[in-house]
Amino acid sequence: MSDERIPLLEASNVTKIFGAVRALTSASLELFSGEIVALLGANGAGKSTLVNVLTGAIRPDSGHVRIRGREFKAASPTDARQSGLIPVYQESSMIPDLSVADNLRLTNTEPAPFRYWLGELGIGQLGLDEEAGGLPLATLRILDLARALASEPEVLLLDEMTAALPTDLVRKVLDVIRSQKARDCGIIFISHRFVEVAAVCDRASVLRDGRTVGNLAIEPGVEDRIVDMMLGGSIDAAAARKAKSADDRAPGLPRLSAKGLSAGTNLADVSFELHRGEVLGVVALEGQGQDELFEVLSGFEKPSGGFIEVEGNKVSFEHPADAIEAGLAYVPGDRAAALLMQRSVRENIALPFSAQVSAWGAIPVKREGERVAEAIERLQIDTRAQGEVRRLSGGNQQKVTIGRWIATGTKTLLLFDPTRGIDIRTKRQIYPLMRKFAKQGASVLYYSSELEEIPLVCDRVIVIFSGRIVDTFNAGDADESTLMRAAHGLALSSAEAA
Amino acid sequence: MKKALSVLAAVAIGIGLPSGVLASDYSIGVSNTVQGNGWREQMICAIKAQALSSGKVSDLNIAHRNTDAAGQLEDIRNLIQAGVDAIIINPSNPDGLNAAIQEATDAGIVVVAVDQAVSAPTAYVLSNNQEEYAYLGAKWLFEQLGGSGDVVYMRGAAGASADSDRDAGFHRAHDEHPDVNIIHEVFTGWQQDQGKQQMLDFLATGIPLDGVWTSGIDNVIVDAFLESDSPLVPIVGADNAGFVGMLSSVDGLVGAAVTNPGSVGGAGIALALNILGGDAPGDRTVLVDPALWENQTEEGKATLAAAENPNLDPEWPVSVSIPGWTDYSMEQIIACKGPGE
Amino acid sequence: MGFFRRESWNLGLVAILALLFVLTKVVQPNYGASGIVGLAQAALPFAFAAAAQAIVVIVGGIDLSIASMMAVTSVAAAVMMEGASEGQAFWIALFILALGTAMGALNGILIVLTRVPDIVVTLAMLYVWEGVALMILKAPGGGASDWLMGLPIGSIPLPGVPESVSSFLPKALLLLVVCIAVVWVPLKRSKLGLQIYAIGSSEQAAYRTGVPVKRSKVAAYAIAGLFAAMGGLVLTASTGIGAPIPGPYLLASVAAVVLGGVVLGGGRGGLLGPIIAVFILRLVRTILTFLAVDPNVTTIVEGTIMVAVVMVGGVLALRGRRRSAA
Repeated sequence: MSDERIPLLEASNVTKIFGAVRALTSASLELFSGEIVALLGANGAGKSTLVNVLTGAIRPDSGHVRIRGREFKAASPTDARQSGLIPVYQESSMIPDLSVADNLRLTNTEPAPFRYWLGELGIGQLGLDEEAGGLPLATLRILDLARALASEPEVLLLDEMTAALPTDLVRKVLDVIRSQKARDCGIIFISHRFVEVAAVCDRASVLRDGRTVGNLAIEPGVEDRIVDMMLGGSIDAAAARKAKSADDRAPGLPRLSAKGLSAGTNLADVSFELHRGEVLGVVALEGQGQDELFEVLSGFEKPSGGFIEVEGNKVSFEHPADAIEAGLAYVPGDRAAALLMQRSVRENIALPFSAQVSAWGAIPVKREGERVAEAIERLQIDTRAQGEVRRLSGGNQQKVTIGRWIATGTKTLLLFDPTRGIDIRTKRQIYPLMRKFAKQGASVLYYSSELEEIPLVCDRVIVIFSGRIVDTFNAGDADESTLMRAAHGLALSSAEAA
Repeated sequence: MKKALSVLAAVAIGIGLPSGVLASDYSIGVSNTVQGNGWREQMICAIKAQALSSGKVSDLNIAHRNTDAAGQLEDIRNLIQAGVDAIIINPSNPDGLNAAIQEATDAGIVVVAVDQAVSAPTAYVLSNNQEEYAYLGAKWLFEQLGGSGDVVYMRGAAGASADSDRDAGFHRAHDEHPDVNIIHEVFTGWQQDQGKQQMLDFLATGIPLDGVWTSGIDNVIVDAFLESDSPLVPIVGADNAGFVGMLSSVDGLVGAAVTNPGSVGGAGIALALNILGGDAPGDRTVLVDPALWENQTEEGKATLAAAENPNLDPEWPVSVSIPGWTDYSMEQIIACKGPGE
Repeated sequence: MGFFRRESWNLGLVAILALLFVLTKVVQPNYGASGIVGLAQAALPFAFAAAAQAIVVIVGGIDLSIASMMAVTSVAAAVMMEGASEGQAFWIALFILALGTAMGALNGILIVLTRVPDIVVTLAMLYVWEGVALMILKAPGGGASDWLMGLPIGSIPLPGVPESVSSFLPKALLLLVVCIAVVWVPLKRSKLGLQIYAIGSSEQAAYRTGVPVKRSKVAAYAIAGLFAAMGGLVLTASTGIGAPIPGPYLLASVAAVVLGGVVLGGGRGGLLGPIIAVFILRLVRTILTFLAVDPNVTTIVEGTIMVAVVMVGGVLALRGRRRSAA
């Protein structure tokens, strides 16, 4: 990495101001060919803005972006593409109503190299006349990547490319990314998962509050320094606690029991108990039946077999409102599905209150206001963007979805991958929040796609594989590799802890 | 409706429509393109009543909807397919229907245009003389003002042929009284609420006026004067029941109603039946001349009083029949029932 | 299999249309060639309006000014053709098509530049075009050249085909198929066609994949204007005049688009569905006229049919998707 070389991509002192918000004050990035650089930063640090500048979606107020030393004034994503910069965005860019083949035509992508990369990524059998909208999210992400690779980019920008992928696919993706180095392609890699960053990246460039605060080579032990840089040293180290043992579990009837629940072909005979004051983890690879489990528990779908008990009473949900009535609140992984994006934080948190008021009754504004304020305080929701929820960062949005139920006094939370795509600082605020919530007597069912957070949050953990519970652990006994093996259905039946 | 059901029943048992009915049992189609307007509703009721009272019509097939000339072409062609013997049309346009009218007369169907003329040479036309209608009313108004003054001219719908005919008549009267000043000209679209609002807006300006000529949106204009406490001026309207009543009952209202009977529809049926019976008129165009009923002479007042009928819809013209053409009773047209209903 | 699944909506519409033809024949045993010719003539302006609306809906918008653009092009054609020679009339027709395209493009440009929602812009343009039509011609009038008026009249005499068969092929239908196909077939195969579907399906994803969103949107509105001009020309052709007050084509076009399986919101559907839907709606009116149903009831029947078909179609589509997912 000698300094005489001309960088493939160079952003220097980029600034961007939206109204009163300085999204970027001085962001810089250097990328050499054959190099993979991680772009890291907590939510709100300016990552998305920098990505948008690089891909031509927005124009910086000042600063330069150069590709191979040539000034690049991107006015549109098309210009960026023509300069050889191909992005893979957080959300899929496949047009849902078009077939895969038509999606390729749209970007003038040759089918042959695309096919090759699909094969490398493990879905070479996919029919190109399939409509994109009918494909699973994970497949779409792979298609996005394959399409980007097929156009032989000089610079590849991967924004949270792996967030929605199951573990096995992540490995394939990382392998493919690594192989691009040999082609002298430069890659900007954005991910919240340190494991992945450590696995593929050469360097990390860290953003905080709109400026680039560090440039580090990836080497063992660098994670802590990166976290320090991202957080500015203000992290509460106590957030990482050891889970309490299952022995001091509160006595009495379980808050929620599933008795032989089945749903369709994906969930079969699942039974477990969730107790007062407990956070029960659910570990599963993508598509093992966890989606159906949460849909049944939250009243979105009726079970095809088995039943649910709440506080020992058998319940049957006709409608999600019935589940809420029974004290079960569902927080989906997709925040857009849970929030009124164009309404205020206040209204979003207050929404469940008004559901309790009779349809034409007056909304008790004062009481509502107090509880909303309390929830915002407790969750430390960043209220700079007091207006519309869609202006909040992803982490803050997720806090709002959780916060509304805490404010309502819900006893049982069903959290489905609540930390997907959320920065580490917000994550570390959510963990103790869950612990505190449980300590006050509430119960939490917690599915996460990130295994490392299970021991930080959960008391016990159930592992689902192929629609069945294959293992139950005390979270304190379960390290990542144990969970990973169980999730792959490898280590059937270890010590049954319950 | 009952007829529709019986036809459906016939369809259900698979025998189709009975054909080869008695020679005097004619089937007549009607095509009209303005719905929800009192005048046109009276026209339809007059058609039904005359068809019933003639005893020669076995069924009426009425295509009655809001549409344009192309839509009326469609309706006429559907009526041709339905196998009617005659078609009464109130044309949306004098020149736009010629293709379908030609097709109808080629198929041996008698076509009678009522209310407004058509240029197709094979059709018969039986219409109110719209130019005369406007001339009569405007002339009376201008004479009432002593040949000079400021007049508001409230027209019908821009682009309608009746409106352009009336405009010609209005200007013929105006040419005879050049000292009359038209201070405001506006299209009411023949919409009650629109006309009333336009009058209220004008009165609010405070510009003095001496008279109002309306193209049949009349009783709401009187309402506008009364509601805004403006001094009444002479108003010319049509023989709509509401306005005729006002001419007798509203203190200080000087006005005249010009007859424009919707019952030309009934006369159209009578003419069609005459032609079907072999008695075609020499001239293909038959004009029904309007009459003017004013409330300034005893004779006029008596005519107005005789025309009043509390059972009539206030938006209907009170001249419910046309002597020499229609022979239904007042009860029959109010009942608005055709043959088989 | 793929064909049946992809075209299931259109096949369903064709089945309904066939059923309606049978019903028509039962209600009116004399219904035949001339009836079908009349049906095609009646459907003509509606079909062009539906095609215009469909392409705008596919791109994710809506155009409330279609009927008014038809009025403008119709009166412009009628005014220019009055007294013009047959040869001149041909050039006038071409000019009218260009005029419609320009009007549509103006709609699109306003939407793209002002960023005011399409429904607001085209509502405003509805009034603007209506005013323009009245400025060109205050009252119905003007003329049309004979060849234009002859275009939709009668049936196609095919050499070697007996007249008893060829009389069932309306010229109006041929005119419709040719005009639509000349625009739609190449468009559907072109990059622009793909981009129009892409924008309607997901504007953001389209923008990010490098689709020139603004340009393609304007193009879609311009093509809608072109179809509206064709609609205006056939109005002039069938009536021989131009009428400045717009006919009932706006709501009818939306109805046909919905019934024709084009998803409001964009990205799905084509032109065939809405055009079959137009024939269905026209034939329903024919049947109701034959039955002499109370005219006030006919609109209720038309509305009910539309809701019923769209509802049943939606349920069937949902089921099909579930089955294929399972």
